[in-house]
Amino acid sequence: MSGIIEARNLTKVYRRGREEIHALKNVDFHVDKGELVSIIGPSGSGKTALLNVLGCLDTPSSGSLLLNGIETNGKKESDLVKLRRDNIGFVFQQFYLIPTLTARENIELPLLFSRKNGNKSRIDDVLQMVGLSDRGDHLPGQLSGGEMQRVAIGRALINDPKIILADEPTGNLDSATSKMIFQLFQQLNRQGLTLIIVTHNIDLARQAQKIYTLRDGQIVGCEDMTCVLGRNDIKMQQEVVLS
Amino acid sequence: MNFFTLAAKNLLRRRGRTFLTVLGVAIAITVLFSLLSLNSGYEKELTKEVNSLGVHILAVPKGCPYEAASLVIHGGVIPKYLTASDLQNVSSIEGVELATPMLMHQFIRRDNKTGKDVPHVVFGIQIDDIKKLKPWWKVEGRYFTDNESNVMLVGRGLADKENLTVGATLPAGPFKDFKIIGILDRIGDQDDQFHFVPLAEAQRIFDKEGKVTTIAVKVKDVSKIPKVSEEMEKIPDIQVVTLTQIMGTIMNLAGSARSLLLTVIAIALIISAFGIINTLLMSVNERTREFGMMKAIGASGLDIGKMVLAETIFITFIGGIVGTGAAIVGSSLIESFVKGMLPYSPRGSLISLSPELIAFALVFSVVLGLICGIYPAFKSSRLTPMEAIRGGVE
Repeated sequence: MSGIIEARNLTKVYRRGREEIHALKNVDFHVDKGELVSIIGPSGSGKTALLNVLGCLDTPSSGSLLLNGIETNGKKESDLVKLRRDNIGFVFQQFYLIPTLTARENIELPLLFSRKNGNKSRIDDVLQMVGLSDRGDHLPGQLSGGEMQRVAIGRALINDPKIILADEPTGNLDSATSKMIFQLFQQLNRQGLTLIIVTHNIDLARQAQKIYTLRDGQIVGCEDMTCVLGRNDIKMQQEVVLS
Repeated sequence: MNFFTLAAKNLLRRRGRTFLTVLGVAIAITVLFSLLSLNSGYEKELTKEVNSLGVHILAVPKGCPYEAASLVIHGGVIPKYLTASDLQNVSSIEGVELATPMLMHQFIRRDNKTGKDVPHVVFGIQIDDIKKLKPWWKVEGRYFTDNESNVMLVGRGLADKENLTVGATLPAGPFKDFKIIGILDRIGDQDDQFHFVPLAEAQRIFDKEGKVTTIAVKVKDVSKIPKVSEEMEKIPDIQVVTLTQIMGTIMNLAGSARSLLLTVIAIALIISAFGIINTLLMSVNERTREFGMMKAIGASGLDIGKMVLAETIFITFIGGIVGTGAAIVGSSLIESFVKGMLPYSPRGSLISLSPELIAFALVFSVVLGLICGIYPAFKSSRLTPMEAIRGGVE
């Protein structure tokens, strides 16, 4: 089955002065449409680098990446903008909400960039989807951390993307709120959305259907959780990797 | 929501900084608008003053032409005199339609209300000639005749200021007991402030029998003004001042002062422009991660650049509105300041406000925004999403 994301031999090298940092080393990555995938690994393992390459925010130094069947290699930035706009929704750890815009306006922002602004019913739908129907007119400063992340998720959903990429979406949230956010992701996944979530939280990661484990820029494990759920040896292996 | 509302809301995030930047622009636009309105107002008023003289050429005693021009228009004491023979010589020049003598003098009269000594200007004139030179003169009461004694006409402005009425007599000064037989209708120029008496009376009062300070000349054909003035210059002791010369001389003097003001404006605008660029660059640097987020959610470099440019235009446009408004509201203050700087100022209002000028100031403020915003917009639009997300802009 052809995946919605097909990455082959992805390599990413950053240069800091004369030093070369190999963030990704020959990474193969496959995600099917409608999957909920977690990426785990210790700090500096290349999780975010991988997510950024998958989201076309960064270009790989080598290797190939097919996104929804489209080869991204060699594409111009303007084409990548369109690719991101049409296919991907991003959720960040720090939310990156604009403090002077209401929840509704923050969610509307991508519509402005895709020249579809003014679609009020779509915004209402998304607000309802993320459980913020009654908080749309509040500024980020008036919202809790969990609500802010919900707004950020709403913003990622507004352009009806095919894939959601979330980088440590619960990193700034307490465990109860984190669980609620993850439940929201699961709910979206049940509606057919593909989600790739980078996280340090092994308990939440284990609720995905597939877990990729990264260390030193390489994938050191890929477990299909629909098969391994409940296996303590896998849990222990992942905890060792994260430590 | 559109790019402008987004830009406006972004600016509200740093209210203090935005306010100060807007203030900087507003000050620059105030100065620019004031100078431009003063410039057109100055020329308009000067032309009006010179035209209201009703003459084509003035003959004054030889001396400084700048001083002569100013005195001829505003009145005062020229400490040199022309004589009846000068008048005769001028009258005999071919092409001269009318040559009329005038004695202009200053006198001091104590103001009854304030108790202060106030300078007044009086013109000794030959009324029939003046009526030909200034056919727009209208009088409440009547004109005097050239051989009447102890009679006087006054300008409407002066009459209103001093509560003078037709039939009243002057209580003090060299013209004590002179009867006001007529008050000139308001003309809107310097004549509104002057006293007019028969020439012989002025010469008697100031002990200048046979002497005049000015000979006002009207030519038969305006195209012959250069020829007539050339002929007049051949008369010894006479300084010839044509209308064009008066205008040119004063405009030259005012031009120097204007150049100085223009330099000040240019400096103010440059400082203001750098202030805007600095503010925007700071704002761009602070928001690189946010721009990264925007790129991640579908913004192109052009979108980011447009947003930054919209913010700049907002700042400068609001600065333009505030600056123009401040210039209009504070025009009298600015006018008195500029009048103090100029070597010669017409009496009327120097501020000439027009819709075109307001439109120009606002358009200029937008252009200023475009110029200042180009570099920060370009810089922000060039950020790669990764650079932006990492906040790695230098």
